[in-house]
Formats: sequence, structure tokens, C-alpha cells
Amino acid sequence: MRTLTNIIGYSTDHDISGQLHALSYDDRVEYLLLNREDTHRHRLRVTTDKGTDCAIALDRETNLEDGSVLSLDDDGAIVVRMKQEQWLNFKPRDAAAALELGYFAGNLHWRVRFIDGVLGVAIEGPEKFYLDRLASHVSSGLIEIVANE
Amino acid sequence: MKNTVSGNFPAAARIGIGGPVGSGKTALIERLIPALEGRGIGVAVVTNDLVTREDAERLKASGLINPNKVRAVETGACPHTAIREDPTLNIQAADELVNLFPRTGIVIIESGGDNLASTFSLDLVDYWLFVIDAAGGDDIPRKKGPGIVRSDLLVINKTDLAPYVGSDLEQMKVDAIEVRGDRPIVLTNCASGDGIEAIIDHLSQSVLFDA
Repeated sequence: MRTLTNIIGYSTDHDISGQLHALSYDDRVEYLLLNREDTHRHRLRVTTDKGTDCAIALDRETNLEDGSVLSLDDDGAIVVRMKQEQWLNFKPRDAAAALELGYFAGNLHWRVRFIDGVLGVAIEGPEKFYLDRLASHVSSGLIEIVANE
Repeated sequence: MKNTVSGNFPAAARIGIGGPVGSGKTALIERLIPALEGRGIGVAVVTNDLVTREDAERLKASGLINPNKVRAVETGACPHTAIREDPTLNIQAADELVNLFPRTGIVIIESGGDNLASTFSLDLVDYWLFVIDAAGGDDIPRKKGPGIVRSDLLVINKTDLAPYVGSDLEQMKVDAIEVRGDRPIVLTNCASGDGIEAIIDHLSQSVLFDA
């Protein structure tokens, strides 16, 4: 188990990006692929893409971000990569449907975004869970599922 | 305030324990305290109650923990708001405990008793358990809800009561696995202590890092 207790810097930092670039030639950069939710944790146990078991323990004021560098030396580096968020997009038929959809999403405490009259719901669990909740809205034509652009 | 803290790590771990009223959250904490202390891990507790300090008073009087290591948050309203939408009061209480007791290894934050939709903010805790109980009905896992589906560890408590209320424990387990996939489940009987070590093992692996 490799214990990591602070963020050294970020992959976009000038000095660090150069070192990462050099290490990458020898395939010595390991990535921790995290979803957005997990970057909020201050303690977590995760495995890098190369199989290194990592125990991350940060102070409460430090937050993981895409590109956080947790380890860097001549032997290699460990860098956080955030998974791309997945969204389900719903387009309401009319204003009344939009009100209902908005109420429903709020009542279920879903994290949402609004783009051009389409309500996006962040998928933070099984996709089916969200689709099941809205099945009657879809089948009745109140809302339609819109593909991600 | 910056934490000073705990063992070889820069801050104490924080775990949340949520679940419906009466599912056995406080009883679970009463079992976890000696089990964690027995492994050399200092414990502090923040309880949440709607309009009383009932759970905090119970823990303070239990003799299991220094009463000064227990803080009560009175949510005054929707209890899950204080652990999810605006966890400021709980963060503040946990910060105070850790500053007062720098050797704290883990802060347990008990929710005020919720429905199945309850979840913890990961700004507040690093890992969270959701407690349901066999006496509440064996259909609970099938009802899903974010607490059951998304918690890091699902605890099915009061297994000893299952035969008395006609609950099918095996079916509860099968249904829970169905909705949770790879996320772990532990069956407990807090009256006897069954399952407590399994929970400690999960905490050790996931946030205490002594496994």
C-alpha cells in the first residue's frame, strides 16, 4: 500500500508538466481514475491504472482535482484523472411538463444542469435508477430523452 | 481551523452513519466505539437529532466514550439537509472535536434518522454507511433509494429479529446485492455484536488504512 498525504502540484504546472512529460517516455506515470464524487473525499483507497494500491489521506482543506499530482520523483509519478461525467438529458414537452420535471428532479435531490431548454441529470449511480423514476413521464410524452451532443 | 491530528495522517477520517429512525444507528455506534478503541483508533462522535439531543445524551451516558468527545447537532428541520445540502454545522462540530482531541483517528457522524433517499455529502464524510433493519420489513432493499443504492456500505441490522417478524434475511441480501452491484453489505446484530468486526474490517480497508 502506497500512502499519499498531499498534493504536490498539478499536471499543468510548468515545472511539473515537464517532469511528467519526461517520465511518460519511460511509462512511469501512473493515473488514478476517479469519478467526480470521489474527488470530494479526503480519504480513499484506490488502485492506479498500473495496479498500485494507494491510500490517500489529505487534510480537510485540500481537495483532489483533475491533474492533482500526488507523487513525483525520478522513479515515477501518480496523477489524478477525473472521469468524464455522464449526463441524462430530458426535454420537456411544454412549460407545464418543465415545471413537473423540475419539481421531480429537485425532490429527488438530483444534480442538474440546464442547456437550451434541456434538463441534464448527472448520473451518479446506475442509469436505470434514473430512467425507472421517469419512465411514466417518458411514456406519457411529457418529456423525451435527448442524446448527449 | 486546520486540524493537527491523528496518527501518521494529516486529518482524522470521517464516516457517516445514516438510515431510518429506529434502524439501530446509535446501537451500532455503541458497538463500534469499543471495537475501534480496541484497535487503538481514537473515536469522536457527532450526533444529529431533529429537536433534541437524545442520541448524544445516550452516548455520553453510555460509559463507552469520554462525554466531551460527543457533540450534538440539532437540525431543527429536515435532518438530511444537515448532512448533505448544507453540512456546515456538522463540519464545524467535527473540526472542534478533532482540535480538542488531536489523537482522534475517526469521527463518526450519525444522521438524524432519514428516509431511503438520504445520502451524505462527501465534503462532510469520506465514507458512509446506511443502516436498515430486518424488523422494518424484508422488502426494504427492493425499494432502492439512494441510501440503499449509493452508500459505501449497507448494513442490515437486527438480524436476530427477522424470524419474529417473518423477514426473509436471505432474500434481503439477494435483493441488496441486486441493487448495489459490487458495493459491500454487512449483516449485523448489535445486541450480540455479530457483524461488527466485519464493519471495522471495511473501515480499515477503505479509510483507516490499517488493513
